[in-house]
Amino acid sequence: MSEAETPLLEVRNLQTHFFTELGVVPSVNGVSFSVKKGETIGIVGESGCGKSVTSLSLLQLISDPGKIVGGEILFNGEDLTRLSNKQMRKIRGNKISMIFQEPLTSLNPVFTIGSQISEAIRLHQNVNKEEAKEKAIVMLKKVGIPRAEKHYYSFPHLLSGGMRQRVMIAIALSCNPQLLIADEPTTALDVTIQAQILLLMKQLSTEYQTSIIIITHDLGLVAEMADRVVVMYAGQIVEQNNVYELFKNPKHPYTKGLLNSIPKIHQLKDQLESIEGNVPIPSQLPAGCKFHPRCAAALEKCRFQDPPLFQAKQGAEVRCWLHQEEVIGV
Amino acid sequence: MKKYLIRRLLQLIPVLFIITFVVFVLVYLAGDPVSLMLPEDASEEDREALREALGLNEPFLYQYFHFLGDLISGDFGTSFRYSQEALPLVLERLPATFELAAASMLVAIVLAIPLGIFSARKRNSFVDLFITGGSVLGKAMPNFWLGIMLILMLAVNYQIFPVSGRGTFVHLVLPAITLGTGVAAEMTRLIRSSMLEILHQDYIRTAKSKGVSDTLVIFKHAFRNSLIPVVTITSLQISHLVSGALITETVFSWPGLGQLLVQAVNGRDMAVVQAAVFVIAILVIVINLITDLVYRLLDPRINYS
Repeated sequence: MSEAETPLLEVRNLQTHFFTELGVVPSVNGVSFSVKKGETIGIVGESGCGKSVTSLSLLQLISDPGKIVGGEILFNGEDLTRLSNKQMRKIRGNKISMIFQEPLTSLNPVFTIGSQISEAIRLHQNVNKEEAKEKAIVMLKKVGIPRAEKHYYSFPHLLSGGMRQRVMIAIALSCNPQLLIADEPTTALDVTIQAQILLLMKQLSTEYQTSIIIITHDLGLVAEMADRVVVMYAGQIVEQNNVYELFKNPKHPYTKGLLNSIPKIHQLKDQLESIEGNVPIPSQLPAGCKFHPRCAAALEKCRFQDPPLFQAKQGAEVRCWLHQEEVIGV
Repeated sequence: MKKYLIRRLLQLIPVLFIITFVVFVLVYLAGDPVSLMLPEDASEEDREALREALGLNEPFLYQYFHFLGDLISGDFGTSFRYSQEALPLVLERLPATFELAAASMLVAIVLAIPLGIFSARKRNSFVDLFITGGSVLGKAMPNFWLGIMLILMLAVNYQIFPVSGRGTFVHLVLPAITLGTGVAAEMTRLIRSSMLEILHQDYIRTAKSKGVSDTLVIFKHAFRNSLIPVVTITSLQISHLVSGALITETVFSWPGLGQLLVQAVNGRDMAVVQAAVFVIAILVIVINLITDLVYRLLDPRINYS
């Protein structure tokens, strides 16, 4: 794939703010990244760093009091932020679909799983009820649900968490989307089930040439799945690189901290490494670099001046004064 | 499921025993019907003779068991007031009561569902405030007052509707509105809060992410889930309506169960009170049973086996 090819998705300076009674909360504050066709990117960060809000923003599913206040989301060259609700509905579930963190509550308890898959199919494809049902059963088989014809009529509460997540994947992939957004798809599942679900996503995305954005705080999962990694902190991207370089040569002190806090089996310690302090509340962000209160390497400058995104060595993009080489963006 | 139904129906028996006993005690304590049945200047001998004839001189328990014995053969005794069998007297009032209950429920549902959903969708807007405020008002307004005001305005001043009685459709309008608004007020609030809760559920987000339209999200994905608490309160309201909307039926001289019961209590017409309460108890239990079955239809997670 050539570098010149236009990416499937290009997010430019996305800003999503929440207008609460206590003031404006900038949950996503100038995020830019792109996804190529067939590529899998991982967005990592701690809880509250804005990664889920970013993903919901892509589908324009931010609910009140949240609002996209700036930036562009170019999907196949078309800016999704300018689309009407009706045009957007044709994209949701069809061109871009989404899998959520909570398989237990993400399916409607009063409808059969079959009808929930068929619904997505009938919304976007010109098929009748019978054809939709056949397609849904094919999808159920694809995601590895045993006795698919019978389970078509099952209600969600009869299935386990892993099975329900498979159903969610079946819904998400039923219209053969170009982009799949998976928001912590395996967080609520057992480790063995996690592996199965990830393998399934990988297989199906290869088969359908689907690009994936996987949102997680699990670095192991990112290393396993992603081609490129975006690290987010306090509503901003702090580092972005391909997966090998990011794990081999992390640049940003936050990325280093994240990688250090993974326990290593060969160097057992009494206490696990951690990053001191907490993620700042988005309504009370510190001045200067958002990470400086927790950063061991913080300079005087970091306290006053917010660093832009720098182009650093090994292809990394880093938001840190320590890697002040070439400014490529704010 | 069958077992569950049988068990529920068997529960009727002890419930009915307890109810008959409680009502019997209450009516017994309420005083002597003889003084109401005879003219004020009746002699003590006349009173005594009547008590004797009605069996009111017997000890309390004897009277109760005597009553139970008759009851098992379907005999609630004879109304003092109407000199008729009590049970048929009660049963013939049922159609009027059902008619009013159904009409009121219709008024309530037609008002509450759109208002509740609309109010939830436009949460905290002026319209929402208006609807919520209106439902507080509707709930707080006493039925009899609303009934009298409606009669005054629409039956006396403008003479659009008849003042009272039962017969044609127009007779039904005012009492149905009177009863329906109170029920609608309660249902509106409940549908609103239930909807608001449901609209934040994960599966609503899933539906939206599939590209389902807002209207379908509300009416297909959210509404059915929001119905369970609504059905609970509706069944309570229906129980209330069929057990005789006592005051409203009296205000509108509606010849239903409520009116009969009020008259029977005032006249200490024990047999009629017993028969009416007995019938009402059965109705309430049956309504609860139907409610449980409706839950099962609405939510596949509920299982009674």
